[in-house]
Amino acid sequence: MDVVLVVSVAALAATGVLMVYSATRGPTDPPDRSFLVRQALFVTIGAAVMVVVTLVDYRRLRDWAWTLYGAMMLGLLGVLSPLGQQSKGAQAWFGFGAFQVQPAEFAKAVLILTLAAVLAMWAGDIDLRRLAVLLGVSGAPMALILLQPDLGTVLVLVSIVLGMLLVAGLRLRYIVALTLVGLIGVVGILNSNVLKQYQKDRLTAFLDPGRDTQGTTYNVTQSQIAVASGGLTGEGLFDGRQTQLQFVPEQQTDFIFTAVGEELGFAGAATVLGLYGVVMWRIWRTAQLSRDLLGTLLCVGVLSMLAFQVFENVGMAMGIMPVTGIPLPLLSYGGSSTLTTFASLGLVLNVHMRRFR
Amino acid sequence: MDRESPRLRLSILGVVVVSLIGTLFARLWYLQVMAAPEYQVEAQANRVRTIAEEAPRGRILDAKGRVIVDNRTSLVVTVNPHDLQAVPDSAALKRRLAETLTRFGVPTKVSTIERRLGDKQYNPLQPVPVAIDVPEELFLYLSERADEFPSVGVRRESVRAYPYGETAAHLLGYVGRISAKELADKQGTPESPKPNDKPYQPDSNIGKNGVERSYEDDLRGRPGIKTVEVDAQNRVVRTIDEQPPVPGHDIQLTVDLDVQRFAEQALRDKLDSIRGGRTRDGRLRAAPAGAVVVLDPNNGDVVAMASVPTYNPEEFVNGISQTRYDQLTGGAVSENPFINRAIQGQYAPGSTFKPITAYAALSHGLIDRTTTYNDRGSYDAGDRVFGSPSAAGPVNVARSLTVSSDVFYYWLGHRFYRERDVYGELAMQDAAYAFGLGQPTGIPLVDERAGNIPTPEWKRKIWESLPPEEQAIGDPTWYPGDNINMSIGQGDVLVTPLQLANVYAALANGGTIYQPNVVARVLRSPNDPVDPGGVVRVIEPVVEHQVPLPPEIRDPIIQGLRGVTADPKGTAYAPFRGFDQAAFPVASKTGTAEVKGKADSSWFAAFAPVDAPRYSMVAILEESGFGAEAAAPVVRGLLELVSGQRLTDPSEISGGSE
Repeated sequence: MDVVLVVSVAALAATGVLMVYSATRGPTDPPDRSFLVRQALFVTIGAAVMVVVTLVDYRRLRDWAWTLYGAMMLGLLGVLSPLGQQSKGAQAWFGFGAFQVQPAEFAKAVLILTLAAVLAMWAGDIDLRRLAVLLGVSGAPMALILLQPDLGTVLVLVSIVLGMLLVAGLRLRYIVALTLVGLIGVVGILNSNVLKQYQKDRLTAFLDPGRDTQGTTYNVTQSQIAVASGGLTGEGLFDGRQTQLQFVPEQQTDFIFTAVGEELGFAGAATVLGLYGVVMWRIWRTAQLSRDLLGTLLCVGVLSMLAFQVFENVGMAMGIMPVTGIPLPLLSYGGSSTLTTFASLGLVLNVHMRRFR
Repeated sequence: MDRESPRLRLSILGVVVVSLIGTLFARLWYLQVMAAPEYQVEAQANRVRTIAEEAPRGRILDAKGRVIVDNRTSLVVTVNPHDLQAVPDSAALKRRLAETLTRFGVPTKVSTIERRLGDKQYNPLQPVPVAIDVPEELFLYLSERADEFPSVGVRRESVRAYPYGETAAHLLGYVGRISAKELADKQGTPESPKPNDKPYQPDSNIGKNGVERSYEDDLRGRPGIKTVEVDAQNRVVRTIDEQPPVPGHDIQLTVDLDVQRFAEQALRDKLDSIRGGRTRDGRLRAAPAGAVVVLDPNNGDVVAMASVPTYNPEEFVNGISQTRYDQLTGGAVSENPFINRAIQGQYAPGSTFKPITAYAALSHGLIDRTTTYNDRGSYDAGDRVFGSPSAAGPVNVARSLTVSSDVFYYWLGHRFYRERDVYGELAMQDAAYAFGLGQPTGIPLVDERAGNIPTPEWKRKIWESLPPEEQAIGDPTWYPGDNINMSIGQGDVLVTPLQLANVYAALANGGTIYQPNVVARVLRSPNDPVDPGGVVRVIEPVVEHQVPLPPEIRDPIIQGLRGVTADPKGTAYAPFRGFDQAAFPVASKTGTAEVKGKADSSWFAAFAPVDAPRYSMVAILEESGFGAEAAAPVVRGLLELVSGQRLTDPSEISGGSE
């Protein structure tokens, strides 16, 4: 049991619940507690899921990989059908009463498990035919998610695949080639009609944030103002004026880091970044300690996923990365993403627990 | 791939992750530590707004405390542009609002509403007025139907009210929306702001003319300033600071409303009664305009100041339309109602100027009170003969004023020219300057004119400024004839009615030239939070300078002026027949100023009672005929009013001679 990891995750999740509350309580009394209650619920369920995932030996979980993969593909297909719901320009959700489920979030964990299973089976011996299979397995869910369209999650999947292929022993020239193909793909997507104009604008707005402060780049500008006005020590919890007066749209989800930055200042935001660093260090260490390649690859997948999401999300809030709708793991409001993150961390704890046997 | 490669490759991944997190730390440090101050300014601008609430303007009272300019409540219908954006079908709402306004008697078009909403002068945070002075029923109708008219509001606003209508319109002036230039004058520019404890907004009102403008800083109240915090939707979340508005100071005028109203009415009636008739030499009496000034010679206070034609300041309350303004100002200059002729009309003074020529001659010793000259009806200046309407026979200086002998003054003017080596070439001009002519009196009203006292130098400069072809016709030389014309107030002599009233005030009070004054006191508003109704300051008389008027100079002039109404040969004896001269002796002078191609301008200047003067009065009626015919009856009526005599019907007053 990796206590350092568990404590860091708990601290991040608790901060998340608090900041979601701060971002949603509203400027007037009585404060809105609905987001607070739900996020606390998601974290509680997530912790339970993490325990369950930890308890079942990851080598037995591997046997479920293809079943889960099939279920994932069904989910991604289903969400594109009339069963799915559209919101904020993307067909990405199933509605269950008051809750919404986002299959693309779960796809991240399922893809990690599936790829780890296949790559461990081939034990570093990847020729072009096998690479093609791997790309097919990864590309199918990516294509479906791109149709929603949800470029952010696709980019997370891409980084998972790249990270796992790197450690699994794919030749470096293939990695380089794949990276190039990926870049060309992103440019191609930006120039195609898959994304709507406003989505493309959002993605490229960070390149020139002064261009139009009330339009496309409003988010980028307001989120930087929020983070920067926190200063060294922050304006105090529930006292961030940008946050409390709701100048930053989507603050409880994609822009939750701005609430941390404004209200807790550099002291708080650096601590949060530090906690992410500790979490990633512990995952990286578990990857090294793992008794087999399967465990290592599971950890690498989770590490790639978290590192990319943290970098992209926090970088976006600070204006150095394009705006894509991906959550900040453990901090952003959202059931699907919270459950996926906890489940993924469960895989890591699982590997850590069974490193000697 | 060797067996160690996963370990090596994990290290690569580790380096990538560490550099990503390092990048985030660096950016975080930059934003929150190095760039925080400038971003904090932006955050402040994001959320803090100040809203100004105009304070009620001070009132304007007459000398006896009667309210001439008041404030009243206007019911205003507004639209909040920000809220309107959130209305699903704003076009239908605007249509419905226009229909409703029209149905309640406020004809409004959708385009009018849209124009108002697009007007940059309004603060985007505050509701924009789309209809003003709506009836109370509409006010109630809309108040009760807020849900049917989202973003539409109703409010009560303080605007100017004029209980006496047009009375003293020129003197009072009016209030209007501040212009960009005025705003810059009052506030300075963003680069060099001027501190102002009564800050203006782009939609503030400001005094545009008259006392409203001269005493703007007293009349304007201190706006209430509310500093609020708004959220991203511009909704007010909380009030950070609030200073309530403080009403402006009241202004008490020196003007007596009774005299003012009488002067306006008498002037208007006289102009109306003679308009369209013919003078004895057959010229049309157009009688388009006139002015009356009544001063207190003891302190320079303006008791009344009338100018006809006039306008109704009520038309400016909600902003006058360009069409209406053009309609009022589109005619001839003589019909322009916005000219305050008492201070802006410049006229040849004609014979009313003679006391100044007499003063010049007496004070230089050119003549004494006994010097006689035989008026044979014309004056031969050698190269030119100057005519006059009648022959007065032998006259001394007093008699020359009573009967208004032109020849006596031609002789004086000509002598001043011939003997300029002894008396200087500006002897008459200096006398005119001494009595305050040729320069503004300094009355605290804007755009006062200076009039003109011609000099040889002035004549040459005018000629030099002409284009060559006009120089060929003109002549820069000052001739004896220029002096002769000037001696009877013709030629290029120009005075304003106020200047002339001030001349006669100085003759009345023994030579003191006051700066005329229109405001007696500045008072605190009855609603002032500190000292309701308290005196802020009393305006003291301002002496410009003293004209030496020893008895040997003053007495013959006064004697002559006294005879104008008292002596059967006096030029205004007839129009003052029946006036109780024993109770209220009058010193006066008629004037008939020639205007090329038009009927003469009719002047009458007077002060009374002669021994202890309380009033100096001047009336001028443009294109109306002899001074005694048109202007004298107006002044007689005023003298009857202020002396408490029975008012004579103007039709019973006969005209005099010139």
